[in-house]
Amino acid sequence: MTGRGDRAVNYVILASFSLIALYPVAGIVLAAFQPPGSAAGGFSLPSELHLANFAEAWTQGHFASYLRSSLIVAVSVVFVSTLVSIMSGYAFGTMTFAGNKVLFYLFLLGLMVPLEGLVIPLYFDLRALSLTDTYWALILPQIGLSVAFGTFWMRAFFLATPRSLIEAAAIDGARRWSILWRVLVPFARPAVLTMMVLIFMWTWNEFLLALVMVSSESLRTAPLGLAFFQGQHVSDVTLLAAGAVIVALPVVVVYIFLQRHFIRGMISGSVVG
Amino acid sequence: MATVRFEGAGKRFGGVDALVDLHLDIEDGELAVLVGPSGSGKTTALRLLAGLESITSGHVWIGDKQVDALPPRDRDIAMVFQDYALYPQMTVYKNLAFGLRMRKVAPGDIDGQVLTAAKTLGLEDLLERRPRELSGGQRQRVALGRALVRQPQVFLMDEPLSNLDAKLRTQTRVEIARIQREFGITTVYVTHDQIEAMTLGRRVAVMRDGRLQQFDSPKGLYDRPANLFVASFIGSPAMNITEGSLEHAGDGLAIAFGDHRLAVGRPESRPDDGIGAYAGRKVLLGIRPEAMADASLALGTPEDRRMTVRVELREDVGSDVYAYFEGGPPVSNPGLAESPTGDDDEAGGNRRRTFVARLSPQSKAREGDAIQIAINDRALFFFDPDTGVRIG
Amino acid sequence: MVRSTASAPATVRTTWSAARARTRADAAPGERRSAAYLYILPALAFYGLFVLAPFGHSIALSFFDYDGISPGSWIGLANYKELLADSQTRGAFVHALVLVVFYAALPVAIGLLLAASLSRTRVRGLAWFRTVLFLPQIIPLVVVAVIWRYIYAPGEGPLNEALRATGLSGLARPWLGDFSWALPAVGIVGTWVQYGLCMVLFIAGVQKIPTSLYDAARVDGAGALNEFLAVTLPNLRNEIAVALTLTIIASLRNFDLIYLTTQGGPGNATSVPAFEVYNQAFEVGRVGFASAIGVTLALIIFAITIGVNRIAEARS
Repeated sequence: MTGRGDRAVNYVILASFSLIALYPVAGIVLAAFQPPGSAAGGFSLPSELHLANFAEAWTQGHFASYLRSSLIVAVSVVFVSTLVSIMSGYAFGTMTFAGNKVLFYLFLLGLMVPLEGLVIPLYFDLRALSLTDTYWALILPQIGLSVAFGTFWMRAFFLATPRSLIEAAAIDGARRWSILWRVLVPFARPAVLTMMVLIFMWTWNEFLLALVMVSSESLRTAPLGLAFFQGQHVSDVTLLAAGAVIVALPVVVVYIFLQRHFIRGMISGSVVG
Repeated sequence: MATVRFEGAGKRFGGVDALVDLHLDIEDGELAVLVGPSGSGKTTALRLLAGLESITSGHVWIGDKQVDALPPRDRDIAMVFQDYALYPQMTVYKNLAFGLRMRKVAPGDIDGQVLTAAKTLGLEDLLERRPRELSGGQRQRVALGRALVRQPQVFLMDEPLSNLDAKLRTQTRVEIARIQREFGITTVYVTHDQIEAMTLGRRVAVMRDGRLQQFDSPKGLYDRPANLFVASFIGSPAMNITEGSLEHAGDGLAIAFGDHRLAVGRPESRPDDGIGAYAGRKVLLGIRPEAMADASLALGTPEDRRMTVRVELREDVGSDVYAYFEGGPPVSNPGLAESPTGDDDEAGGNRRRTFVARLSPQSKAREGDAIQIAINDRALFFFDPDTGVRIG
Repeated sequence: MVRSTASAPATVRTTWSAARARTRADAAPGERRSAAYLYILPALAFYGLFVLAPFGHSIALSFFDYDGISPGSWIGLANYKELLADSQTRGAFVHALVLVVFYAALPVAIGLLLAASLSRTRVRGLAWFRTVLFLPQIIPLVVVAVIWRYIYAPGEGPLNEALRATGLSGLARPWLGDFSWALPAVGIVGTWVQYGLCMVLFIAGVQKIPTSLYDAARVDGAGALNEFLAVTLPNLRNEIAVALTLTIIASLRNFDLIYLTTQGGPGNATSVPAFEVYNQAFEVGRVGFASAIGVTLALIIFAITIGVNRIAEARS
């Protein structure tokens, strides 16, 4: 059996790596509370909690506006992608139809294709439609990218759902539409939540698309706003730190409450496969 | 209430025939059992009836309605699934009510019907629970309740007891029989367990390889099995099967197998059974374990209906004594049902050579003893060695 | 962030088996098969219009000399030839390769080290460790960039301060502005982001290995190393495949960090393909050439995803 010594070593290893993961994050949070304009003192504890950096970032850095844009984009993408992915996942997971394999492989491609591989024509195509520099340019492509994942995710769930559940509902008189929404979706709630959480995170954190598509300041998402803010305040560490905390906060809060979903979703390859 | 009728029903999956030309007439209010090993087509037949699979050929009737093209919801049936398939996120009440709500039953009526069904099954106290909070037996009853609540024309049951432990299985079997009789709803019940089939079914359809072998009352199957498969599938322990040759013996016939020879009787004493035509030929012989007796306890059995054997193994289970001995040569006929437990593989060929007799607990036969086994002439079954069809 | 997460590897594996499992190719009576298409249509529309079509368009653009304004001209494979010949672009792909070491190899190695030491123990407080280890994965890369730019800051940055405090002031330098150190510095950021994921993945995997396997190995006289090679490693095959796929893709799709920390500099010292796509298309104005880089990047990612999973599958 493992001795006490071994166990202690394990804890030391785990703790040190956890500390390494935590230190830079905690450091930036601490820096945000340092007196404005100070050098942040290499992530040391502030003598008292100064909120002035947050106040200044909020007003001067327009973070209220950035957060609002991010929220609009993220909520739209999550809502539409979820709805549409549940439907397509249902079809792939429970119905038989000609071309289902080909269509599914097509969706699979979307899990691998990098945004870098399509952002250029996306920009020119959307510009031709006068959609660049609108929320649409951020929302529509991200729905497209998310439904590839969502379809795959929900299909896997519906495939794993006992067939008899669907059949029982069919015999009970439910049609396809009611089977999906009244029997399967309530049952799938945890899987749906995991999917929503992941899509939310990806959308919230997306940078390249926003950088390419948006030029008006009022449309900047939080990460894009922070990037510009960084450009303007390169040397003001405490102010930058406050901005960074504001940008990361929503996603971290969701993570703290729903971390099981984050982790399960992101490492699910080993579970689903 | 309705009759159920399979009219040459067939089903192909890919290139494989899952069900071939099934003809079956089930009477109104009857509990009919489809039994057979896996892959026999019994479940396919049930799913065709339910509308969960489309039919490849032939027709299915419920009452006077041909239902081939109707979706499950329009067939007025209810089904109990092997895994129960309860809606996990709904309470018991909502599980029972779901079918009624889908059928747009007035809300006031739903409550009454759910409560009636719950009362019948003793589910009153569980109505607010969710399936995961219930025991296996309770889930099973909810599944029954969900079927019962709609008062359908036909009940379909797909191995409903296979997830229960042995004791609960017997209890629930009785419960199903009671409810079925009480409501008189035509029921089609699928199982792989021949004991379940025989105790529950008014008539039992024995299936194999997608084909119906025989549809008869349990007694009919036991006394007049149509072929080697039915004979070896029905009964526990399974019928002893061996190969022998029919010979003329005086003005009657005798069957010789292994070291034994038993009188069969005169052809004319077995009218219409065509056995005479097999005189002088090889046949397959079947003897049920329970048709054999310790001759010392069955005095008066004539000498030519006894065989002397050496007991190799004695198993005393209290109510019966099982004696194993060398019978006739083993038979590997494709018509034979595989032993459901599959345990004859362990002991290899020897075990298959061995006959088993179910003797009275008074039997004093010990291992190593040479004893006489008495056999009733009527308990001998003969099968055509090529077709497996019972002779007679 | 990459939208493909761990699902991509799982994907390739599940597809074959699942597609086979459900070949009962006929619908129950009364079900119109065409309904399935209606359920798929909305998803397909979004995906087709905003992912597939642009990707196709990207492939098409890669055969043109196009500056984004004046009409382009067909030049066949010239962009791809240039991609191979041009030392700057080639350099970008080489940098990506170096980053694979930091983003994928190192985190996987760290994760395996931990898995090896944890293989027989139930760890208390694992949930807490997991939460912390996973944190770098979920915060926006823009924020990660802000954090590490500060850590690496020339002069008074925490890293340089720390070096000076320990008497290593000779090592202090403007990390992200140093020609030889900028790339490893960015690489370390990647390691920091990715190792928690690998650890969490492998811890989950290692806890699933039946202890009887370890007992058997021990009875057979295996030492710690053999135990790791004979039991832990083979049983983590799937997790390793997932981790490699995720981290390699992340290292190739490395736009955010490069753009926000070094802009490919100093000189071209940290330029990577993902950054070149943006740079060539939107700064230099060589849209066709940029598309060729993007398409090449996509093909490499396809190849790696499928390759890693083929290997993992073949071994199982």
